[in-house]
Amino acid sequence: MSGYSLLIEGVSKTYRGSTRPAVDNLDLEVRPGEIFGFLGPNGAGKTTTIKMIVGLLRPDRGRITLDGCDITKDPIRAKGQIGYVPDNPDLYDRLTGIEYLNLIADVFGVPQAERKRRVHDLMDMFELGGAITDIIQSYSHGMKQKLALMGALLHDPRLFILDEPMVGLDPRASHLFKELMRKHCDRGNTVFFSTHILEVAERLCDRVGIINRGRLIACGTIEELRSLHRTDESLEDIFLELTGATTKPETNGPGLTTDREGR
Amino acid sequence: MVRRRLLSLILAQLNMNFAISHSRYYYLKKRERLWEPILIAVSIGILAALLAFGVFRISSAYYDAVAAIGQGDLTLILGILLSQLVVLILGFVLVIAVFYFSNDLSILIPLPLSPAEVLACKFSVILSNEYVGLSVILVPLFIAYALKAGVSPVAYTASAILVFLALPVIPLTIAAVPAILLMRVANLSRRKDVLVMIGGFLFIIIIVVFQFFVQTRLPGPGEENEFIRRVLSAANSLVSLVGRQFPPSIWATRALGSAGTLPGFLYLILFLGVSALSLAVLFGIGNKAFYEGVVSGFEAADATRKKLLAGQFPALRFHQRSPARALALTEVRLFTRTPVFVLNGFTGFVMFPVMFIIVFLVGRVGESGLKDLWSLISSLPDIRAAGALVVGAYFLVSAAFSSIPFTPFSREGVRNIWIPMSMPVSGRTISLAKALGAEWMITLGSLPGVAVLEYLLRLPVGYLLSGVAIGVMISFAFCLWGCIVDMARPMLNWTDQQKAIKSNLNTALGMLAGIVVTAILGLVAKIVFATGIPGWAVVTGMGVIVTGILGLSLNLTGAIADRIWCRRHRI
Ligand SMILES: Nc1ncnc2c1ncn2[C@@H]1O[C@H](COP(=O)(O)OP(=O)(O)OP(=O)(O)O)[C@@H](O)[C@H]1O
Ligand SMILES: [Mg+2]
Repeated sequence: MSGYSLLIEGVSKTYRGSTRPAVDNLDLEVRPGEIFGFLGPNGAGKTTTIKMIVGLLRPDRGRITLDGCDITKDPIRAKGQIGYVPDNPDLYDRLTGIEYLNLIADVFGVPQAERKRRVHDLMDMFELGGAITDIIQSYSHGMKQKLALMGALLHDPRLFILDEPMVGLDPRASHLFKELMRKHCDRGNTVFFSTHILEVAERLCDRVGIINRGRLIACGTIEELRSLHRTDESLEDIFLELTGATTKPETNGPGLTTDREGR
Repeated sequence: MVRRRLLSLILAQLNMNFAISHSRYYYLKKRERLWEPILIAVSIGILAALLAFGVFRISSAYYDAVAAIGQGDLTLILGILLSQLVVLILGFVLVIAVFYFSNDLSILIPLPLSPAEVLACKFSVILSNEYVGLSVILVPLFIAYALKAGVSPVAYTASAILVFLALPVIPLTIAAVPAILLMRVANLSRRKDVLVMIGGFLFIIIIVVFQFFVQTRLPGPGEENEFIRRVLSAANSLVSLVGRQFPPSIWATRALGSAGTLPGFLYLILFLGVSALSLAVLFGIGNKAFYEGVVSGFEAADATRKKLLAGQFPALRFHQRSPARALALTEVRLFTRTPVFVLNGFTGFVMFPVMFIIVFLVGRVGESGLKDLWSLISSLPDIRAAGALVVGAYFLVSAAFSSIPFTPFSREGVRNIWIPMSMPVSGRTISLAKALGAEWMITLGSLPGVAVLEYLLRLPVGYLLSGVAIGVMISFAFCLWGCIVDMARPMLNWTDQQKAIKSNLNTALGMLAGIVVTAILGLVAKIVFATGIPGWAVVTGMGVIVTGILGLSLNLTGAIADRIWCRRHRI
């Protein structure tokens, strides 16, 4: 055992036909009990990395291990530890919510009594009880997102991997969900998620990684990032500086008045 | 301005339909698996050429036969009428799929376009698909006629092109208008998916009945003597009879047959004019009813299975199933709840029993015919064994033509394929589950046809059950291989569900494989029968062979699936 929940070693991925790697020699480790935030501008390679972690894409080079389990060598055991929610909650439109959850529970082998308890808990938390017997086609975006999250949590995964999970959640749900992530980690599990909401990352994550153009350009706790830059700037400022945004908003001004943004 | 906007929209739709940018991106820019499209294009080209040549030969021969009695134009009438009927039958489901279940409708509808314009876009997609298919039949037909009948080249060519372009328009509008009205009505209902399926089947049945009547009055090429006798006795009335069934086919024929003369020109104008008029009617109706159908279609069908009172908690059932069974059940649910899949996949299952009932009710075969058949059956000792094998073959053939077995992964599409791919299940499990789901649907779908066969052949229970067992086993093996093919090269990028299961090369491959396997097994049975072995022994032997095939398939496909499932990483 490596002692890491998630270990990414020298992983590269170039989409066929593309000249530039989408993920370039990425090294990352996430320890058990940690909430890891994965940040980066659009097109930086977050979704690509996450798809490789969950086995939807195969890396060109490098190795990804989940709890000591290589995703390419032993995909079934590795996938069994993951709860994954993609960036778009495209579920089976013509199943009902409960049919989808039962499918997931069957596939992950969740025993009957336990699945009943979990489904009821999650349903209460996400307030999806009234819609659970409706077909998914009739759900709103946020409801689909909630159902996808429920499906991913149903088998109490060791590793919870989420691609922009907050998109579409209402404030109450996203608040509860953040608490749930915390509790999940306190039980020794691990959460790895990508997000564009820096305040969430700042408050919630034990550590963050910032990826830009496929390369990891910073990784550590918020404090470590701050001390590295010898400032007490917010994560937003660090992010903008690191990812080379030339239009750094005035730190004290209202922020909307820079020339470039005016155009 | 409006024209240009519409034109560019239509071009974009055609681009998506034929995946032009998509192929250019994947095959030219990325040079990904370049051999594959080349191989496919070459084999499609060869097949199309063979087919076209066959049509050419048949039409030439047919012309010679009918020209002898001065009815050369019948070649054109028949060809045109049959093409239009095919367009009509296939058009209905296609219209529902493309008009109402396209992925891009929620993008198109908010655009500042009139419903008729959106309809025109979608109609052009269907029309372009029809042209591709029709060219294989009509081009050789028109050439054969031109060579035989000696026409004036320029006028004939011009008329032929115009007739070709206008030909699918009338049958397509005839299919589209009831489709639009059906969707309009169905979408008002909470059980609209069921309504769409029933309405679809009804329409297809009506058309088949219609076709049946036309065909029983038009003898096939096999019955030459009878045919000539009838044509001679009513030379002109035959043509006018066909004309009464579907006059546009007559106009098109006259436009071609008399191309270069004034009557020919007038018929051409008439044909084009009526086509244009039918388009106008379609767009007129579309302007009124199209959007309402689509927009209410965005509301989920049957949204609430059980109405809950406020605060009442649904009584949920939690059965634990094995992963394979859960996945198989999901497969069946997803298929049977999607109208376009059901209409495409189950048409074959419905068609055979319906055709039988029609033939029976019309009375052509009738009681006396059946009595003759039954006395014949009881006089032939081996007929029971052969009948059992026919029952078995029915499963295989209807499976092959249902397009269910060869599309389980394609049907998931880019949107949903991540679900099975991120599950901790092996390729073996997933292919077994999908094949089980497919087999379940095929078995249920085949039962009406088997009932009809049993009624006709009066097999003893033992033989009937042996036949069913053979059929289930062989079609299950077939489904397993279908899963492998579709797992290896799924078509995930479709714009409407119809494409996923009908414009899918895997489906064609499956039909071909089904015919070949049936032919081989049939040949084996025939040879064995010829040696004089008793019938029960042949059936038993076939059962052993089929069991062997199934066992081998289970092992082989499992191993193959395990290998390709984990290597398939293209999302
Ligand atoms: N299927 C694909 N084929 C080819 N290139 C792709 C594909 N998906 C992503 N890319 C490319 O890979 C790069 C990284 O994309 P990725 O989706 O990982 O970004 P991301 O960090 O998730 O961005 P966002 O914040 O917008 O979600 C981009 O340059 C993109 O163009
Ligand atoms: Mg992304």
